[in-house]
Amino acid sequence: MSGGPPKALPSTGPQSLRDMPHPLAGSSSEEAVGGDSTPSPDLLTARSFGDKDLILPNGGTPAGTASPASSSSLLNRLQLDDDVDGETRDLFVTVDDPKKHVCTMETYITYRITTKSTRVEFDLPEYSVRRRYQDFDWLRNKLEESQPTHLIPPLPEKFVVKGVVDRFSEEFVETRRKALDKFLKRITDHPVLSFNEHFNVFLTAKDLNAHKKQGMALLTRVGESVKHVAGGYKLRSRPLEFAAIGEYLDTFALKLGTIDRIAQRIIKEEIEYLVELREYGPVYSTWSALEGELAEPLEGVSACIGSCSAALEELTDDTTEDFLPVLREYILYSDSMKSVLKKRDHVQAEYEAKLEAVALRKEERPKVPADVEKCQDRMECFNADLKADMERWQNNKRQDFRQLLMGMADKNIQYYEKCLMAWESIIPLLQEKQEAK
Amino acid sequence: MNFLHMTESNFSLKKIEISVSEAEKRTGRNAMNMQETYTAYLIETRSVEHSDGQSVLTDSLWRRYSEFELLRNYLLVYYPHIVVPPLPEKRAEFVWHKLSADNMDPDFVERRRIGLENFLLRLASHPILCRDKIFYLFLTQEGNWKETVNETGFQLKADSRLKALNATFRVKNPDKRFIELKHYSDELQSVISHLLRVRARVADRLYGVYKVHGNYGRVFSEWSAIEKEMGDGLQSAGHHMDVYASSIDDILEDEEHYADQLKEYLFYAEALRAVCRKHELMQYDLEMAAQDLASKKQQCEELATGTVRTFSLKGMTTKLFGQETPEQREARIKMLEEQIKEGEQQLKSKNLEGREFVKNAWADIERFKEQKNHDLKEALISYAVMQISMCKKGIQVWTNAKECFSKM
Repeated sequence: MSGGPPKALPSTGPQSLRDMPHPLAGSSSEEAVGGDSTPSPDLLTARSFGDKDLILPNGGTPAGTASPASSSSLLNRLQLDDDVDGETRDLFVTVDDPKKHVCTMETYITYRITTKSTRVEFDLPEYSVRRRYQDFDWLRNKLEESQPTHLIPPLPEKFVVKGVVDRFSEEFVETRRKALDKFLKRITDHPVLSFNEHFNVFLTAKDLNAHKKQGMALLTRVGESVKHVAGGYKLRSRPLEFAAIGEYLDTFALKLGTIDRIAQRIIKEEIEYLVELREYGPVYSTWSALEGELAEPLEGVSACIGSCSAALEELTDDTTEDFLPVLREYILYSDSMKSVLKKRDHVQAEYEAKLEAVALRKEERPKVPADVEKCQDRMECFNADLKADMERWQNNKRQDFRQLLMGMADKNIQYYEKCLMAWESIIPLLQEKQEAK
Repeated sequence: MNFLHMTESNFSLKKIEISVSEAEKRTGRNAMNMQETYTAYLIETRSVEHSDGQSVLTDSLWRRYSEFELLRNYLLVYYPHIVVPPLPEKRAEFVWHKLSADNMDPDFVERRRIGLENFLLRLASHPILCRDKIFYLFLTQEGNWKETVNETGFQLKADSRLKALNATFRVKNPDKRFIELKHYSDELQSVISHLLRVRARVADRLYGVYKVHGNYGRVFSEWSAIEKEMGDGLQSAGHHMDVYASSIDDILEDEEHYADQLKEYLFYAEALRAVCRKHELMQYDLEMAAQDLASKKQQCEELATGTVRTFSLKGMTTKLFGQETPEQREARIKMLEEQIKEGEQQLKSKNLEGREFVKNAWADIERFKEQKNHDLKEALISYAVMQISMCKKGIQVWTNAKECFSKM
C-alpha cells in the first residue's frame, strides 16, 4: 500500500502515541497522565465506540477485526500493511563487526550496531554504537517492562556451558551475531516497539551504562504495576481465541522440540558417517600405491570420497550454525509468548473481579467507577495488542520457517550436487584406458 | 553370459551357456547320519546352435556348496601353475548391521548363487581349465561325481601344508618375480580386507543418516495438523522425507554387489599366493636335489682320491673300525656313481619341470593381471555410477521438498 492517506500515519502516529496515555504508562513523568492530554479526534471516537462493544460477560473481543479501542492496535492494523511495502520503511538497523575485548576483569565481545533513520525521534540520520550481549539483555528486559502487552522477540541463549562451547569461536560469535541482528530487526519492524524510548537509547547512546543507571528508578514503577496485576485473581473463562493460541503454542513448541532433537540426531549420524568416510577414502590411496594400471583410477576414487567428505562437513556445519539456532529461537519465542498470555489472563481476571465487585454493590449502578473502567481499558488494550502481535508473529513465523526449511533443503541439494560433480568427473578417468586398450 | 567352446574330441564345436539359476533349501543326512539343512543350487547348461542362436537345455543338475569346494580343491592340485578362480565366501563376513550373517538368509543365499555362477563362468572362460574333464563332469554327471573325483586320488597328490611352509622359509633362490608377486598378494589381501571392513561401517552410518530423516516425515505431519496456511506444504514435504528415508535400502543393496566384486579379488589373492607357494616348493625341491647331488659327487671324489674332506658315516666308521677293503671302496664308488647319474637325470628333469612351471605360471599370471585390471576398473565404474545415481535421487527428493516448503 503506498501513497495517500497511509503515508500520513507514520509521521503523525508516533507523535500522537507519545501524547496519548499508554494504558500502562501509569505514573511515568514523561508520559501524559490519564485523560489530561488531548488525543486526536479520530482516536477519541474510536475509543468510546470500542467501550460499548467490548463489555461482554466473558470479556471476549469480537472476532476478526482488532478492537479499535486501543490506539496502538489501530496503528498496528494500518501499519501492518505498511510493513509489507518496504518503501515506507524509515528505520534500518544492522548488527555486525564482532570484536573481542580483553580487560583485566573479563573478556567479552561487542557488536557494532548501525542505525539509519529519517524518524524525528532520532537527532542524527545515522548512528554507530558498540554493544555487548549484556546490553541486549538490558534492552529486552526494559521492553518487557515497558511494553508488557506486546510480544518481545527472544534473545539467543544467555548462558553457554563453558568447556563445551567456545564462546569466542568464530562460529559461535557469528551465530550469535545473526540472532542479535534478527532480534533488533524484529523490534525495528514492530510499529509500537520500534518507537520505544529504550530502543532509541540503545541504538543511539554513546554511553549506555550511564543511561542504564539513570532510567532505573522511573521504569521500575511501571514494572511494579504490571507485577501487581499478576497476583490474586482467578480467570473466569479465557476467550476462545486466546485459549486457542495457548493450545497452539503448546503443540508448536513441542513439535519444534522434536524437530530440534531430530536435527541433532541427524548431525550426530552425519558426523559418524564422516568419520568413517575419512578412513575409507585413504584406503583407496593405499591400494593405488600397489597397482600399476589401476593406480590412477583408485587414486581418483580416493579423491572423490575426499571431496564428498568435505561437502558433508560443510552440510553439518551449516545445520549446526544456521538451522538449529533458529529453531531454538522460536521455542524461546513461544515461551515468552506464553508468559505474555498469562499476563493477559491476569489482567482479564482483575477486571472481572472488579466488575463483579461493582455488580454486587448495587448502589453504584449505572455509573461504572473509574478504576474499573481503567481495568477494562487495560484488558482491551492488552487483548488488541496481543491479537495484532499474534497476527504479525504468525506471518513472520510462516516466512521464517519457509525460509529456514527451504534453506535446509537447499543445503542438502548443494551437498548432493557437489558429490555428483565429483563422481561424474571421475567417470572419464576410469573409462579412459579401457578404450585405449 | 560367458561362452565356452567345447573342443573335446567327442563333441562338435558348440557354444555353451552356464547358469546357476536356482537355490533350494534341502534337508538330508550327513556323513554321521545326522539330519542337516543345506542349500542346493541348480546348474543349467545350454548349448547354443551356431546357425539360429537358439539355446537348448543340455544338462541340469543340483549341487551344494561342498561339491563346488571339492571341484576347486581338485583343480588346485592338478593345476598348480594356474591362478584358480575363488569361490564366494563360505560364511558371511564384512557384514554391516542390516545384513544377516546367517547362511540361510535369503539375501545371502541369493548373493552366493550369483557368486557360484560367476565361479563356473570363470572356469569356463579359462583357456586351460575349461577343458578339464572333472569340470565337465561336474556340469553333466549328477550321480557319482564325488566318487569320480576322489578316485583321481588328488588328495594324495596334494602338497602338505607343512612341506610348503618349510620350503617357504628355506628356499634360497626363488624367482624374483614370484617374491614380488607374493608380496603383492599379501598387500592386496590386506588392503582389500581393510577396504571391505570400512565400507561396511560406512554403509551402516549412511543407513542411519537416511533413516533418521524419516522422523521428519512424522513430525511434519503432526505439525501440519495445527497450522493453517503452512499445513499443506509441511505435510507434502514430510512425505518426501519418508521417500528419502526408504530410498537407502535399494542403494545399499546395489552396493553389496560392488563389495562382492571386491571380495572375489580378495580371495583371488590367496590363489596367487598358492601359485607362489608351489614355485617355492619346486624350487626348494630343486635346490635340495642339487645340494644332495653335489654332496654325493664330493663324496665320490674323496673316495676316489683318498682325501676325506666331507664328513660321512662310512668315513667315520672306517676310522673307528679300520680301513675298508679296496673292494668295499670300489663298491661304494660304483654305487655313488649310479646315484650321481640318477641324480643328474632327476636334477635335469626337475630343472625342466621348474622352468616349465615358471613359464606356464607366469603366462597365467599375466592373463590374470589383465583380467584383474579390467574387472576392477569395471567395478569402480559401476561404483561411481551407483554414487551418481544416489546423488541424483538425493537432489530430486530435496528439490521436491524445497518446492513443498516454498508453498508454505
